[in-house]
Amino acid sequence: MTAAAPLLQVTDLRRHFPLKGGFLGRGAGVVRAVDGITFDVAEGETLGIVGESGCGKSTTARLLVDLITPDSGTIALGGRRLGVDLTLKELRRQVQMVFQDSYASLNPRLTMEEAIAFGPMVNGVPAMAATGLAHELLRKVGLEPKRFAGRYPHELSGGQRQRVNIARALAFKPKVVILDEAVSALDKSVEAQVLNLLGDLKRELGLTYVFISHDLNVVRYMSDRVMVMYLGEVAEIGPVDAIYARPTHPYTRALLAAMPSMDPDKLTREAPLAGDPPNPINPPSGCRFHTRCRHAADVCGQRSPGLYALPSARHLAACHMAIPGSGHPEAAARLEAAE
Amino acid sequence: MSAAATAAKLEAIAVVERSPGYWSGVLRRFRRDPVAMVALCVVVALVLMAVLAPWVAPADPYRSSMLRRLRPIGTPGFPLGTDELGRDMLSRLIHGGRLSLLMGVTPVFIAFFVGSFIGITAGYLGGKVNTILMRTVDVFFAFPSVLLAIALSGALGAGIFNGLLSLSIVFVPPIARIAESVTTAVRKIDYVEAARASGASAMTIIRVHVLGNVMGPIFVYATGLISVSLILASGLSFLGLGVKPPEPEWGLMLNTLRNAIYVQPWVAALPGAMIFITSISFNLLSDGLRSAMDIKA
Repeated sequence: MTAAAPLLQVTDLRRHFPLKGGFLGRGAGVVRAVDGITFDVAEGETLGIVGESGCGKSTTARLLVDLITPDSGTIALGGRRLGVDLTLKELRRQVQMVFQDSYASLNPRLTMEEAIAFGPMVNGVPAMAATGLAHELLRKVGLEPKRFAGRYPHELSGGQRQRVNIARALAFKPKVVILDEAVSALDKSVEAQVLNLLGDLKRELGLTYVFISHDLNVVRYMSDRVMVMYLGEVAEIGPVDAIYARPTHPYTRALLAAMPSMDPDKLTREAPLAGDPPNPINPPSGCRFHTRCRHAADVCGQRSPGLYALPSARHLAACHMAIPGSGHPEAAARLEAAE
Repeated sequence: MSAAATAAKLEAIAVVERSPGYWSGVLRRFRRDPVAMVALCVVVALVLMAVLAPWVAPADPYRSSMLRRLRPIGTPGFPLGTDELGRDMLSRLIHGGRLSLLMGVTPVFIAFFVGSFIGITAGYLGGKVNTILMRTVDVFFAFPSVLLAIALSGALGAGIFNGLLSLSIVFVPPIARIAESVTTAVRKIDYVEAARASGASAMTIIRVHVLGNVMGPIFVYATGLISVSLILASGLSFLGLGVKPPEPEWGLMLNTLRNAIYVQPWVAALPGAMIFITSISFNLLSDGLRSAMDIKA
C-alpha cells in the first residue's frame, strides 16, 4: 500500500467558526475547529482519523466534501486542486461521505431506491437507469432489492440503513469515501458485518477510505495509516503499526493507554488523561497539549512544535520531545530510545 | 442499453415489494381516531351545507316581515325562530355559513402559501436573508392579531375583500415563523447534507427533501388557525368592518341580534353556537391530524 501516488492531498486546511454575540456580533472570538492540518491519502489506502470529541474530526470530514467551506488551505484530488483545475461538482462525484447517524441521513419520506437514485438523477442519469443502478447497489451492499428497494428508513435496522447509506455514497462511483463514525452507532456484531462489507467493497471497487472513529480497535483493524488529531491540529500521523507499536506523541500514548485491554498483564491502572480538552476558542499557546501533558517543559508552552518527520518511514509527530535540539530536556534521550 | 435489457429492468423494478407510504399510514391512524373523525364529519357537513345553501335552506334568508319578529325556537314554519327583522333564522344560519367559512378558510389558505414561502426561504438560506425576512415578519408579529386585523381593515375600509386581505396579512407572520423553525431544523439533518454532497441544487433539495418534511407540520398549524380566523372574521363583521347588512354572516348576525338577548336569548345565541361548533371542529381536526402525522418510527 506504500509508495503509491497521493490521491487526496490536503494542505494547511483551516476553518474557524466565528462565535455569535458581542457588540454587533464582533469580538466574540472564534472556535478553531480545524487549524492548519496537512495530510495526504494514497490511492487504495485507508487513513484512520482518531481523537477526542471536539478535536475537529467531523469538521475535517465535512471540509473534504465541501459541506463546509475552508477559510484557507487547499484540497487536491489526483494532483488537481479544488477551485483551480478541479470543479466542486467533480470533487463531489469523486469524494462521497457516509454519516454516523444512519436514521438522520435518510429522508423518512423516500424509499431506499429513491434515496439511492436521487444523487445520480440530479446529475443527469434518467430515472429508469438510476433506479436500476439503485437496485444493483442494494445487491452489492447485501440487501435484496426485491425486499428492500420499496421500504422506508424506519422499517430497516440500523445496520441495514447504514448499508443503504454506503450504497448511496457508491452511486457516484467515487474514488474516495469518507466514513465519519460510520459504524460507531451500530451494535458490535452489526458493526463487524458492516466493517467486513466495507473491506470487501474496497477490494472490489478499488476505493480509498478516510475512516473517522473514536474506536481505536476499529481504526487499527481498518486503517493502513492513522492520523491523531488534538484541538484542530495533527498530533501524529504514520503507518498503523508504527502508531500503535511506537507512539511518539504523549497524547497518542495516552489514547492508546486508555484502550480497554483483554490482557490481564496490560490492565489500565490509572486514568492516562485527566479532564477535558481545553476550549478550542482559546487554545493553549505553544504545543496545544502541554496543559495536560506530564512531560511538559518550558519550551512546550512557548513554541508550537509543528509536524516533525521521524526517522522511520512516513511517521510524523508534533512533539518537542521528538525533535532534537528543540530545547526540551527529554528530546535527545527520547530520540536515542526511539532508535 | 438494449430493449431486452430495459424490459428486464422494468420487470425487476415492478416486482419490488412496496411498503405503504407515509400518507397511507397517516390516513389509517386518522381513521382510528374517533374524535377527529367526528370533527371531520362536522366540517364536511358544514361545508356541504354552505355550498348547497340555496337548495338546503327552507326559506329566503332576506325576506323580512315586521309581523313575525323574534319568534322563539320551534315556531311552526320557523324551526329556529326568526331574527329582529322577522327573517327565518335557519335559512340565515345556513346561508351565513357561506361567508363565514369563506372568511375563515381563505385568509389561512393564502397565508399558508405566502407564509410557507417566506419561512422556508428564510429557514433554508439562513444567514442575512433569514435575518431580514424574519425581523420584518416580527414587526407584524408584535401587534396582537385582533388589533392588527381591526387596524388593517379599518385603514382599508369595510368590505369582504378588504377583510380577507387584512386577515391574510395577520396570519402570514405566525405561519412564516413556524415554517422557518421547522425548515431550519430539517436543513441541519444529515440527509439534507448528503443531498448537498451529491451536488443537487438548492431548489431540488427543497423540493425533494425539505418540502415533504416541513409541509405536514405547517399544514397542521394552519388548520388550527382556521378557527381563529373564523372568530376574527366574525369579530370584524361584528364591529361593522367585514360583511355589511343585510348579508347573512354569523358574526354580523350576532351583532344585530345582541339587542334581542333579553327577548329571545336562545335565538340570539344561535350564530354564536355555529361559530363555536365550526371553530372547535377545525381545532379538533387539526389535533387529530397532528397526532396522526406525529410518528417517529
